[in-house]
Amino acid sequence: MGIAYPVPEMQIVQPQTVEQLREALVEAQRSGRRITLGGAFSKRRMGGPVAPSEVIISTASLDRVLQYEPRDLTLSVEAGMPYAELSRLLDQHGQMLPLDPPFAEAATIGGVLAANTSGPRRRLYGTARDLVIGMKFVTLQGRLVESGGMVVKNVAGLDLAKLLIGSFGTLAVIAVANFKVLPKPPGTRTFLRNFASHREALEARDRLLASPLQPAAVDLLNPAAARLVGYDGWLLAVEAVGNAAALARYGREFPSDFTLESGEEAQFWRNVQNFTPCFLERNPQAAVVRVCCTLSGIAEVANSTEAPLVIRAGNGVCYAHFSSADEAAAWIRPDWKAVIEFAPEERKGELELWPSPGEDLAVMRRIKQNFDPDGLLNPGRLYGRI
Amino acid sequence: MIPASVKRQIAAIVGPRGLLDRPEDLMLYEYDGSVDKARPELVVFPRTTEEVAAVVRIAAEHGIPVVGRGAGTGLSGGAIPVAGGIVLSFARMDRILEIDIPNERAVVQAGVVNLDISLAAQPYGYFYAPDPSSQKACTIGGNVAENAGGPHTLAYGVTTNHVLGLEAVLADGTVVSTGGKEVDLPGYDLTGFFTGSEGTLALVTKVIVRLVRMPETIKTALAIYDSTEGAGRTVSELTARAIIPVALEMLDGVMLRMVEEATHAGYPKDAAAVLLIELEGLREAVEEQIEHVREVCLACGAREFRIARSAQERELLWKGRKNAFGAVGRVSPFYYVQDGVVPRTQIAPTLRFIGQVAEKYGLEISNIFHAGDGNLHPIILFDARKPGDLDKARAAGEEILEYCIAAGGSITGEHGVGMEKKELMPKLFSDDTLETIRDLKKLFDPACLLNPGKLLPTGKGCLEIRHPALGRDLVF
Repeated sequence: MGIAYPVPEMQIVQPQTVEQLREALVEAQRSGRRITLGGAFSKRRMGGPVAPSEVIISTASLDRVLQYEPRDLTLSVEAGMPYAELSRLLDQHGQMLPLDPPFAEAATIGGVLAANTSGPRRRLYGTARDLVIGMKFVTLQGRLVESGGMVVKNVAGLDLAKLLIGSFGTLAVIAVANFKVLPKPPGTRTFLRNFASHREALEARDRLLASPLQPAAVDLLNPAAARLVGYDGWLLAVEAVGNAAALARYGREFPSDFTLESGEEAQFWRNVQNFTPCFLERNPQAAVVRVCCTLSGIAEVANSTEAPLVIRAGNGVCYAHFSSADEAAAWIRPDWKAVIEFAPEERKGELELWPSPGEDLAVMRRIKQNFDPDGLLNPGRLYGRI
Repeated sequence: MIPASVKRQIAAIVGPRGLLDRPEDLMLYEYDGSVDKARPELVVFPRTTEEVAAVVRIAAEHGIPVVGRGAGTGLSGGAIPVAGGIVLSFARMDRILEIDIPNERAVVQAGVVNLDISLAAQPYGYFYAPDPSSQKACTIGGNVAENAGGPHTLAYGVTTNHVLGLEAVLADGTVVSTGGKEVDLPGYDLTGFFTGSEGTLALVTKVIVRLVRMPETIKTALAIYDSTEGAGRTVSELTARAIIPVALEMLDGVMLRMVEEATHAGYPKDAAAVLLIELEGLREAVEEQIEHVREVCLACGAREFRIARSAQERELLWKGRKNAFGAVGRVSPFYYVQDGVVPRTQIAPTLRFIGQVAEKYGLEISNIFHAGDGNLHPIILFDARKPGDLDKARAAGEEILEYCIAAGGSITGEHGVGMEKKELMPKLFSDDTLETIRDLKKLFDPACLLNPGKLLPTGKGCLEIRHPALGRDLVF
């Protein structure tokens, strides 16, 4: 697997064992060297600027499956395990880890967790915070710390894994992650419906969510985004899971313009899942904003730009794709809970990537201080604020 | 002793009816649902977050420990004030602030009873999913502190999966809000970090939870077995066939007889075990799945498979399950509930081991548990009036938990570490882990005043502190 290191000429450490990882961190801490931390570095453009550092550490070589007992529906892997490889392994046993992150082809599990990336089926299956049952991570002091374990229900100790998920490698280094996995559903079918306005689309969404039907994915694409995946208008995309009779009922109760199955269905969702990576690849100067809002707050976001919008309409997470960082920054309203998720590296330093953090940022900074008092680990990577 | 002047300061905040300090009143706050006891010096009943913060600030100033208390139904000693000091009861903070159906959220004060959230959402067709057996009494604040579970968490997840935002008071009296009605907010997941911290990092005053759409169809079935082995095998066979019920509960023969005597729920008194299995979802899906479940149960040796024919029948079966601890109380005045977890495939051997432990100590142990996720609740019956019996019960409990650890499981699935299991923590976690937890505890609570003596084992907790109120040294 090719790893595109941020600064290829720098000293690169790629530990083969957790012990080597521990040594590398202790050494960096001792000599006060700043660390750029990553897995496959597939999401280099995500988050805050990759700060100047003296050493690069990648967990990509920690890539073993440590434990997988399909009958327990649990799995333990090292952080460098590629997400795609893990998905193939589970698929062989009729199981899945439905995180559906962007960059799924290149990303490592550690990177998916550190960036807390997720995808369309989160409506039904949740995100990393719901599917991780245990974790081991290594701190700069050289501690190998455990959280949770290998059982699906466990409240022993503090839930430290929650701090690491979405931490962008600013606290410690994820070495091992344990998951609860799920049996694949007996069948799936996707229903696509066009609307002339976001209002009508959201009304249909409201009726769907209030009905007994409980789909796995409910995504809304605005016309600009729909066009990029080959459709027109405001596109509401609903993935149903269940047996044949249940799928037939979705067809009756959620009238649609297109029904997708098997290969066609998989291709559609791959396009949605990879929407951001594809957009970034085609537009080197692009910036992507994530707005976290309530289900009823989606309307305001949907109505405020013509740039391509992919919206998790059953969760309240909106991804807006702009061709320049300035457009992105100008679009964000001060009362929104938003971050510029992706921006060109050279613009990150001057942009306010996380414009309105909550008052709990002070508590987060104290936790950062506790784990990394000298600010050595991925400084600034958490949207420029930590 | 807490000086009278401090009591007067606190009374000025919460009002004269907002605190208790007479011995006969304090006695009622010395225990929870576990077997330990310790008496507080003062019980305080704040009405608002500001009052909580003000009381905590006074406590911090005078070095007085503060222990949060909801309904006191906890099973690990989480609400017991081991170091004395103040018990801060959330009984008067019991308002549902908002039921927000369009956004699938509820905003509630910490003292709201778990079931009351579901009752408030029910008219709109929604409910709050985590359903501990004590849900008619336990509060959401206590649920957050312990990361409570319940039978239906098999499909829906535990408290942490349904809590999206918190308002909490830190040890110095600062009020902090984490998360919100929205998901995926950037930064560290403090909501998830505080959930399950057992009142040792902060006192939760307000909670934002997810509401879930009620299912269209619910089917509840009872599978009756002449051997516990067959019931255990059914659990892993269902998993292998990709069937995940919303609840999958097991009661063994000892338990069945006690439950049936107390509830008359229709459980067979002569069986070795039953599985209580619930499926829900779309009518079409549930009807097909229940037949698959029937096949699996019969193939694994069930002698009978019954489906509840009405809502009343279903409720009666659940009443039997949820009132099980009460049923035990009729037979044995004292019992000790364990909360170990094993991987699902280890259920049958673990049950055999529990049987051996019962024999070894000469104690009766009945089993009732969340079989679907491997969360066992062996109930050890003993008589505290017999010298040595409590010690035997504790020793038997510890052996069972050590077995759970060795089987790749955990010492607690939903009750919390609290007091009783803290000395087992080093068997589950490395020194590195315990020291990291201790560092975080110190970061949030440097004077060790929030629920001292919980979660961390002796020597790995806060350093030895001079307890000003008690006038002696305590080691946590």
